[in-house]
Amino acid sequence: MNVLLTGVSKGLGLIILKELLKNNHKVFGISRTKTVELEKLVEQYSEQFVWIEYDLGNYYDIKSQLFKYFKDKPIHAYINNAAIAYDDLITNLNIDSLLKMYNVNVFTPMLITKYVIRNMLLFSTKGSIVHISSISVHTGYKGLAMYASTKGALEAFSKNTAREWGEKGIRSNCVVVGFMETEMTSALNEEIKNRIYQRTTLKKPVDKLSVAKTVLFLISDEASSITGQNVFVDNGTI
Amino acid sequence: MEKQILEIINTVLSNRGKATINEIHSNMKLREDIGFDSLDLAELTVRIEAMFNIDIFEDGNVNTIGEILTKLSKK
Repeated sequence: MNVLLTGVSKGLGLIILKELLKNNHKVFGISRTKTVELEKLVEQYSEQFVWIEYDLGNYYDIKSQLFKYFKDKPIHAYINNAAIAYDDLITNLNIDSLLKMYNVNVFTPMLITKYVIRNMLLFSTKGSIVHISSISVHTGYKGLAMYASTKGALEAFSKNTAREWGEKGIRSNCVVVGFMETEMTSALNEEIKNRIYQRTTLKKPVDKLSVAKTVLFLISDEASSITGQNVFVDNGTI
Repeated sequence: MEKQILEIINTVLSNRGKATINEIHSNMKLREDIGFDSLDLAELTVRIEAMFNIDIFEDGNVNTIGEILTKLSKK
């Protein structure tokens, strides 16, 4: 399966990348920076892993820079994982930070979806799209209103993508992730983290591998009847 | 060029399980005469772009075969 995955350099994206490679998928992985770990993976999986340098804040060059790789290649799955988190109280909202976050988290993924669906139509692929969403959309946390709003937008976009293109066999789902230990949450202090984890049934951070395996399941044929859904991988957040 | 367009149209029609056609004329309407719906028109756009490198719907709606041919000949 040819998989387009964003945000491969660290955190959840890196774990999804490794799972995809382990399961013999061909991955076109996007990030701004090429870490030592990515270099090793490119070497180890030279036939399977194509690393693409791209800044997802730039929505002008998506067609020319990203989709030049897929002129003669079908995309079977698109995993929208890359995101930035701008957190602050609403009373401090800064429009430039908000716009930057919307570009990366919402507008660029929407445009990538446009070209992914076009590719799926050209190759008559019954493909699958998975967006990584956040439990903050559904529970709400102090300081995450702006971030949660970008993920809420993605959930709506995903549901409507599913309705619009279901007839062509194209599926779209969201994986709604609870709090994990990643760079994105590393800025939170221990007290806040513990309070967040106490708000889950399992009383601990979400296992990134469990999230990655859910994503792999959703793009597989085993999930062929699942579309337009939000799948919660959140330790049972209350 | 018309032969290629006819082939593309028939690919889109058969992908949706619709009857193919034998010929096209400039005044044929894509929706009413050929029977395309919005999803078919999207696939048509993508297939024409792949062959001719031009997005026929980029600057407004196209309704007839003639309008497609005009757009492609302008390139």
